[in-house]
Amino acid sequence: MTPVLEVRQLSARYGRVEALHEISLSVADGEFVAVLGPNGAGKSTLMRAIMGLIANSGAVSFRGAVLPRQSPDTCVARGVVLVPEGRGIFAPMTVAENLELGAYLLNDADEFERRRTRVFDLFPRLRERLGQIAGSLSGGEQQMLAVGRALMANPKILLLDEPSLGLAPKVTDEILGTLALLNKGGLPIVLVEQKAPLALRLTSRAYLLSVGRLVAEIDPRTITSHDELARYYLS
Amino acid sequence: MTNLPAITSRDPLRRGFVALPWAVACGMLTYAFIAGGYFVTVMSFAMIYAVFVIGLNIFMGTAGQVSFGHNAFAALSGYTSAVLTATYYWEPIAAFAAGLALALLVALVVGWPTLRLKGHYLAMATLAIGLIVYEIATQWQSVTQGYMGISGISPLAFWGYEIVSERGKLFALVLIVLLASLAAARLRASRFGRALAAIAGSEDAARALGIDVAHYKLAAFLVSAAYAALAGSLFVHVVEFVSPEVFGLHMVVLAFTMLYVGGIGTLGGPILGAVIVSLLPEMFRGFKDYQDLFYGAGLIILLIYAPKGLAALSDLLPRKGRA
Amino acid sequence: MTRKLLTALAALAVALSAAPSGAQQVYKIGISAGLTGYAATVDRGWRDGVEIAAAALNAKGGIMGRKIEVITEDNRSEPQEAVTVYRKMISSDKVEIFLSGCVSAGNFAGAPLTVRAQIPMVLCSILPQNPDHVKWAFSTLPPAGFEVATRLEYLKGKTQIKKIGVLHDPSPYAVLQKNIAEKTASNYGLELVGIEQYKQDDADLSVQISKMHAAGASAILKIGLGGTTLTAAKNIKQLGLDMLMLTSIEDLAVFRPVAEVLGDKFFFVASPSQVYDALPDSPMKAEITKFLGPWKAKYQDRDPNWGARGWDAVQITAKAIEQGKSFEGARVRDQLEKITGFQGTTGVYNMSPTVHQGITVNPFLLASIVGGRVIVVK
Repeated sequence: MTPVLEVRQLSARYGRVEALHEISLSVADGEFVAVLGPNGAGKSTLMRAIMGLIANSGAVSFRGAVLPRQSPDTCVARGVVLVPEGRGIFAPMTVAENLELGAYLLNDADEFERRRTRVFDLFPRLRERLGQIAGSLSGGEQQMLAVGRALMANPKILLLDEPSLGLAPKVTDEILGTLALLNKGGLPIVLVEQKAPLALRLTSRAYLLSVGRLVAEIDPRTITSHDELARYYLS
Repeated sequence: MTNLPAITSRDPLRRGFVALPWAVACGMLTYAFIAGGYFVTVMSFAMIYAVFVIGLNIFMGTAGQVSFGHNAFAALSGYTSAVLTATYYWEPIAAFAAGLALALLVALVVGWPTLRLKGHYLAMATLAIGLIVYEIATQWQSVTQGYMGISGISPLAFWGYEIVSERGKLFALVLIVLLASLAAARLRASRFGRALAAIAGSEDAARALGIDVAHYKLAAFLVSAAYAALAGSLFVHVVEFVSPEVFGLHMVVLAFTMLYVGGIGTLGGPILGAVIVSLLPEMFRGFKDYQDLFYGAGLIILLIYAPKGLAALSDLLPRKGRA
Repeated sequence: MTRKLLTALAALAVALSAAPSGAQQVYKIGISAGLTGYAATVDRGWRDGVEIAAAALNAKGGIMGRKIEVITEDNRSEPQEAVTVYRKMISSDKVEIFLSGCVSAGNFAGAPLTVRAQIPMVLCSILPQNPDHVKWAFSTLPPAGFEVATRLEYLKGKTQIKKIGVLHDPSPYAVLQKNIAEKTASNYGLELVGIEQYKQDDADLSVQISKMHAAGASAILKIGLGGTTLTAAKNIKQLGLDMLMLTSIEDLAVFRPVAEVLGDKFFFVASPSQVYDALPDSPMKAEITKFLGPWKAKYQDRDPNWGARGWDAVQITAKAIEQGKSFEGARVRDQLEKITGFQGTTGVYNMSPTVHQGITVNPFLLASIVGGRVIVVK
């Protein structure tokens, strides 16, 4: 299979500290890939660099075309969409307004309605909460809103940065279930997670990051216990 | 962000509270029309400031940025209007167009690099613009006549029709404020406004959604500079005199006071703030030397009891849980 | 909270309805003064002078049987505030003449209003620039050239100095003096080798002073009010320069520490009232005596200069009213133009349709402070 997303030798730094060192990876069409690693491994930085949200060197191409560096709006326009760490929802705005902002680049009322209906089908609770202030939603609902808002941009690949953060296990399961459903529908997904077992249950492939470097690419089926995973970090 | 839902509240006490500052503001404007006198002047200044603050609110309230330098744009346009009408006998509208163009040009040149700065840096950069323009106004004496000021500026006129009476001026200013407020409300409800609100919420999240943050910040800066320019030109035509102090740091302090007393980020806040803050010192004029003391105390009381501004007074009441 | 707001509203209503009452038997003088802000020292002095003069006239039965009422409003030394207070005094207080303070910009900003209301002004500041406005405005201020001439004459007549510098702030009155010095220095055989500007809140002037000294200046005309005079004196001493400093008129309180720094190298332009004890007997001294009596009784050693001018403004007004036998604005204006040979505390006033700045003969003296006492330099 030809990759849809290809990252070549991507590096990024915060001031004088190198946070990401020549990372290369790829995601095939319809694939569900995990990016794992401990706190501070550079997972979020990798997502932000792919989106062009921070200065970087290296190349990111999507469906054969190189994405211009540091131009998140082009990324979104081409269908590379990120659900940022900590959800990034606009707390003082209503649920409806948040969803509208997700489709910011869209200028077609009919298409907007179609996308919104699809989001409501996936997260019926958002329809009930439409007029409510986003900041007053529960944590799980906020995460649903974050994913729903990203879907409003009609992504052709979805990047998620730790959607399980701060959520009860039951709620996390619900959201990950929805992601699996989306992936079955053909949407390639990259899921960043600190809690490896969660991600390994769903994904077909996983990249392991440690201190800004790619340390391994693994097949989740071969990992059966937590100890085996730890081995990769120690080796 | 929007305070409109508060008005739809069914609780009569709450509704009364929301309406109170508006009743005071409308009452004072009506009183000024009926009674005439110097109150018309006080209210006219309030309306000019309202235009300025409505613009500032777009940049600070909606887009969540900080500027201490919008007085610069009022000064640029005000002085252009003054010089072109007093020395070269231009029509006020044409002179304003020239002033607006100059203010926007400067805003563009200054905004392009500075709006990439964040937080304190942006605030400091804008403060510098205000100070520089003030210095130019005092030093470039062949054009601005320095502290001497420029007099003989033509009165407010629209397409050849000159407004001479004080009441007429106030009426025109109230109309302009309503239009300016309406435009700001529409802007806020538009895609552009939502993008600004997103930037105010989180620049990062906004960028992740594909919003070109730098571009929109610059646009908001330009729009608010245009409002400031309008206020500057209105001022010189209403007073028929201009000198540098008029657009000094004093203007920034007063505008900030109005913005926070009225309610930053709210639609009606700028108008309420402008009217109430202009009224406050007049209430205490009789106290002579203690006027400033009472004025200051009045402001503190307002900010303690209405921390989110007069446009958000309903927040004062205990909440019965929100729907 | 509601009750608080209601109370505040009630207070506002009371303030607004404080309509003029019993307006018939008084003559209302309005003062727009910078009681706070940069003009505070000067304008408080002016206002107190006006009030003392009004009290003195009232004690004698007022003007043509009408008692004088003085209404002062603070314009915070800001033109915008001045417009508000002018409007207030015109429409709410119905004042009949303005004897306003030294905030020039504020008086210029208020001028269109007073002209429209046909109310004359006798000012402490310079006159407005606009010809329509000048028609209704008169000034008690001696022409700016006199302060310059007094100093240049001294340098020419009593010293060997040939090269001088001018150090000034950007206020209109200082710039006016600077321009005159620039134009007239050569008439006194003096060469102006340096003109330097500073800001009122500058804490160091040594750069400007060194530059003028390097250019060969051995005397500095310092033009501008406030603490910078002492700063300049200290800088001259620190730099060890052998230079004279001659300053414009100012509150005497400002000068005492300056004299301690520079000693006999420091001179200042003085109004007659400031050097009262050193004046020979003259009609002017007699007029100053009338003023200084009540002034000293109330304010002791406070500098009388600005108060004396406020006193003059009231006397001129009373004279104009009595001449025309009318309190009406346009009549008073016409009569103000006809005041000639009127002895005031600062000089003789000679108004005419073309001259609204009445003092036409230089009344100033050059003075210095020796052993804590003000002396006139002969």
